Amino acid sequence: MVQPCEWSPAMESTGLHFNPGPTAYLYLLCDCRQAASPLRVSVASLAGIPIKSTMDNPTTTQYANLMHSFILKARSTVREIDPQNDLTFLRIRSKKNEIMVAPDKDYFLIVIQNPTE
Amino acid sequence: MATCALRGQLFPAGRAGAEALATRGIASPEGPERPGPLQDETLGVASVPSQWRAVQGIRGETKSCQTASIATTEASAQTWKHADAEVQTEAPEPVSVPSSVSWSDGPGLAAFLRRVEPMVTRELNKNWQSHAFDGFEVNWAEQQPTVTCLHTLGYPPAQAQGLHVTSVSWNTTGSVVGCAYGRLDDGDWSTLKSFVCAWNLDRRGLEPQQPSAVVEVPSAVMCLAFHPTQPAHVAGGLYSGEVLVWDLSRPEDPLLWRTGLTDDTHTDPVYQVLWLPELRHSQRFQVLSAAADGKVLLWQGGAGGRLRLSAGFALAVQQLPRNTKLKKPPRGETEVGTTAVAFSSFDPSLFVLGTEGGFLLKCSLAAAEAALTRMPSSVPLRAPAQFTFSPHGGPVYSVSCSPFHRNLFLSAGTDGQVHLYSMLQAPPLASLRLTHKYLFAVRWSPVRPLVFAAASGEGDVQLFDLQKSSQKPTVSVKQTQDERPVYCLEFNCQQTQLLAAGDAQGTVKVWRLSTEFTEQGPRETEDLDQLAAEVAT
Repeated sequence: MVQPCEWSPAMESTGLHFNPGPTAYLYLLCDCRQAASPLRVSVASLAGIPIKSTMDNPTTTQYANLMHSFILKARSTVREIDPQNDLTFLRIRSKKNEIMVAPDKDYFLIVIQNPTE
Repeated sequence: MATCALRGQLFPAGRAGAEALATRGIASPEGPERPGPLQDETLGVASVPSQWRAVQGIRGETKSCQTASIATTEASAQTWKHADAEVQTEAPEPVSVPSSVSWSDGPGLAAFLRRVEPMVTRELNKNWQSHAFDGFEVNWAEQQPTVTCLHTLGYPPAQAQGLHVTSVSWNTTGSVVGCAYGRLDDGDWSTLKSFVCAWNLDRRGLEPQQPSAVVEVPSAVMCLAFHPTQPAHVAGGLYSGEVLVWDLSRPEDPLLWRTGLTDDTHTDPVYQVLWLPELRHSQRFQVLSAAADGKVLLWQGGAGGRLRLSAGFALAVQQLPRNTKLKKPPRGETEVGTTAVAFSSFDPSLFVLGTEGGFLLKCSLAAAEAALTRMPSSVPLRAPAQFTFSPHGGPVYSVSCSPFHRNLFLSAGTDGQVHLYSMLQAPPLASLRLTHKYLFAVRWSPVRPLVFAAASGEGDVQLFDLQKSSQKPTVSVKQTQDERPVYCLEFNCQQTQLLAAGDAQGTVKVWRLSTEFTEQGPRETEDLDQLAAEVAT
């Protein structure tokens, strides 16, 4: 009997709370605001700074760096085909897992799920 | 020397000098007006005295200076009021997330998450319930259905002497395969010359019978290992106990370092050499050699082309851990000959030794106990063994640690069996009988966690996939036609579809593996963990 996975972020003063469901997944929340504060202009901010993550630090930074350019490329592809259109959701499925990205002007939420076989 | 330029313009360097030049130069009888017959003339030396140097000369003046006198005063001070205070750090708050941005960015973030949450939840739910991708597989590479022999390499002078290929090794770039020639069935001392050959497979015009580099060696070479980062350096261990390091990019004088025949060198054939990163400088490497005299030695390249002993271990039967019953009670300080070494990929100081007696030892580079040995040595030898595993029926010729699981390793011995051990327990997790003759080499695949290859004495290379069947080989390729044994094999870590195997006929065959052995499936690492766990219980 499979149960639906519960996933509800509750913003408290300390942070987000996700309840993992039957499928194993990890998430990563990135801040991609670039011109908001000039003090923070650096190579890191152009790549998307991870805010919160369930993975270890090296994997987190690797995902943040790689996914940022990919998301921007996907968005520019969609808008170039139709300027009135925009990217709402991005999914990359690979042999071992699936990466899902919810993009926004200021933040990205990247969730990595192991598909059940 | 001034020639007919006398007639031309001479820059007056000094009036006196110019005149001297002019007067002296008119010594030629013919004069510069007429071009007379060619004659040699020597004219005086023209010197131009310096104008400025005479003027300057050396001038000296004496000056002195002195600081003003230093003023000093004495005064005394004393505290007359004091207070006591204590300082203590508070217990640190547990850090739960790696956050590099402060939470003052709160409101926008909360709004974003509230907006995004339903969509992501919906997608996650749809995903684990979906059957859209069941049975959907994408092939990025060309499919190779069977194992084929790409190259058959040999060196005719070595084959004419009846030498066997004792060891193969791939270099760090994966494009050069090197092999060592020697004999594995000789029991006595031999003085035959042997060879180390290397073929560059990526070169166009590869001649199978003509290696790109050949090194003549005075004694049979028993093992070979290429340097982990330098593509042309290769270390070899000889039958005489020496360890040599060659540089194959210098054909006229390839020998880089040698141990020579000192008190420190092995007195028995060296069965395995490995390169290890040094403790303090992880960019430099040292050579580890394991020989049948029971010593495992670490060498560093020193001055004068000599390898210097930096650390060493010696095995004695009395010092072996007693957790498994060994057959013979020890008498005296008998040495235990080592025939195989493998280092764990997860813990760089942990290694497994295979011995002539058939048992395997878990050892550590950091062991501190001194070894009981009568052999003289410049560096104190230590006893490395910490744990003894259940023995094989005969000498263990090959050990290989899994690159995907920290506790699993394989060993192959002359009893024709391959044992799968876990570092945590003495009896093997599984033992497979592959052949009725000897087994000479076993290696885990570098890409698929459940695949390993074994070289048998019946002349075939057997590939096992533990996912498909744990009893019989998935593929068995015949390397030699007349059932002469295959002595060594190595996977190529860079070009993962290649496997090199050397046999008793003196040929090295490079096999290209089929796609089922080179592409990792989705859950193989978990399957390997599961296999280790379920077989252990």
